[in-house]
Amino acid sequence: MKSPRHLILHACALVALIASAFAARVGEPAPGFTAVDSNGKQQHLSDYKGKYVVLEWHNQGCPYTKKHYASGNMQRLQKEWTAKGVVWLTVISSAPGTQGFVTPSQENDYLKTMNAAPTAVLMDPGGSLGHLYGAKTTPHMFIIDPNGTLIYNGAIDDHPTSDQSDIASSKNYVSAALEEASNGKPVTEPATRPYGCSVKYKD
Amino acid sequence: MALLLHSLALWCFLAGAPFNSELHERQSPHARVELLSRQATLHPGSALQLGIHFILEPGWHIYWINPGDSGQPPSFKWQLPPGFTAGEIQWPRPERMQSSAELADYGYHDEVLLMVPIHSPQFINNEQLRGLRFAVEAKWLICREVCIPEHATLELFLHSGAIKENPATAKLFADAEKLLPIAMPLDWKAEVESRKNDFLLTVTGSKPITKAIFFPLDPGQIDSPAPQTLQPTAHGAKITLKKSDLLLKPISVLRGVLVIAGGRAYRIEAPVRQPIQ
Repeated sequence: MKSPRHLILHACALVALIASAFAARVGEPAPGFTAVDSNGKQQHLSDYKGKYVVLEWHNQGCPYTKKHYASGNMQRLQKEWTAKGVVWLTVISSAPGTQGFVTPSQENDYLKTMNAAPTAVLMDPGGSLGHLYGAKTTPHMFIIDPNGTLIYNGAIDDHPTSDQSDIASSKNYVSAALEEASNGKPVTEPATRPYGCSVKYKD
Repeated sequence: MALLLHSLALWCFLAGAPFNSELHERQSPHARVELLSRQATLHPGSALQLGIHFILEPGWHIYWINPGDSGQPPSFKWQLPPGFTAGEIQWPRPERMQSSAELADYGYHDEVLLMVPIHSPQFINNEQLRGLRFAVEAKWLICREVCIPEHATLELFLHSGAIKENPATAKLFADAEKLLPIAMPLDWKAEVESRKNDFLLTVTGSKPITKAIFFPLDPGQIDSPAPQTLQPTAHGAKITLKKSDLLLKPISVLRGVLVIAGGRAYRIEAPVRQPIQ
């Protein structure tokens, strides 16, 4: 007779499997998850029901991520939107030994050095959260509305380059989506092609 | 008189080939890049073909016009003499590269020549006959486990003369030309049926197609990492292409390149039939 714990573990695996088959489609419920942050705290998407949640896939070594951090663009967005009550979760899905992989304390040092201000950084070296959302690049942005619906999936802006000089003239899709949605308007560009380096998943 | 003789000598020396400044090629950490000309000399009003030749370190790759799920294609900003204009990059057939369940990219390993047609004006004045400078600011992303944006400004000089192929580059350009996708033969047909989660591409040609890959030209239409199931038919094949999660509105045309294993690459521009409601 299997123990209840054994059965629950099987059920959890099954739920995770079903959830991943649906990936993250705009207009549909965003897949729920639990992940550990860089401070060792468990973060559940369900903790943030009633708020907008931004997921930002991140690899500090990737030239496209560097474009937005060296310029201060990502930090500015994090501060602007968290000040308005948006939850900003940076996610690192780089496998150990790959570019972007960091220990929790290395990540916390990075946040201080870069003056970054996410609500939390989710450590996903196994890649399960990345696969759950179908994260392809760094950066790759997702926005979940207060009802738990995915309202944006795609690029951070409309200039798919690694040049900082392009930021000033770029349309920022994340800000645009949050502004429209928070004003009760439909998001005009809810799905765009994300650009950046490939997420360095575990094999 | 001596000056005239010296000028003539110089002129004769120059008559042989385009003279390359030391900036015609650049060695960057993972690639050697050079600006080459198919023609040895310029003839007003006639075609000129330049090419940027990439020789990549083993394992490193650059990207196709549609890079796929990640990456960025090379871009060129030309500095041309007055009256000259650059056409579009002629992209050879790409390769498909899949790094994980989430991603497939399109690009090139080892070596690739990206040819660009240059349109020359009808008249080139005498001053310019001595040598015209063609330069390009090339930017590209080169990747293996990591990605590195690189750039180089390359230049070469050409002078006016009878149209002559450049023997040093003739084979390189001819070989690259063979790798360019071609238009489908006139009696072939390519049609697409839009279904709930995928597109069914039916290619009707002359004989069964047993192995092929479809490379979409426009990002955000086809799910790149999804396997393409191919079913040979008597005169071609039916290929199932999973739709991208980014595709929110119907499309009326599917554009891309069909690379037939062991055979040619064809440009596809197929009308898309929507499901009957």
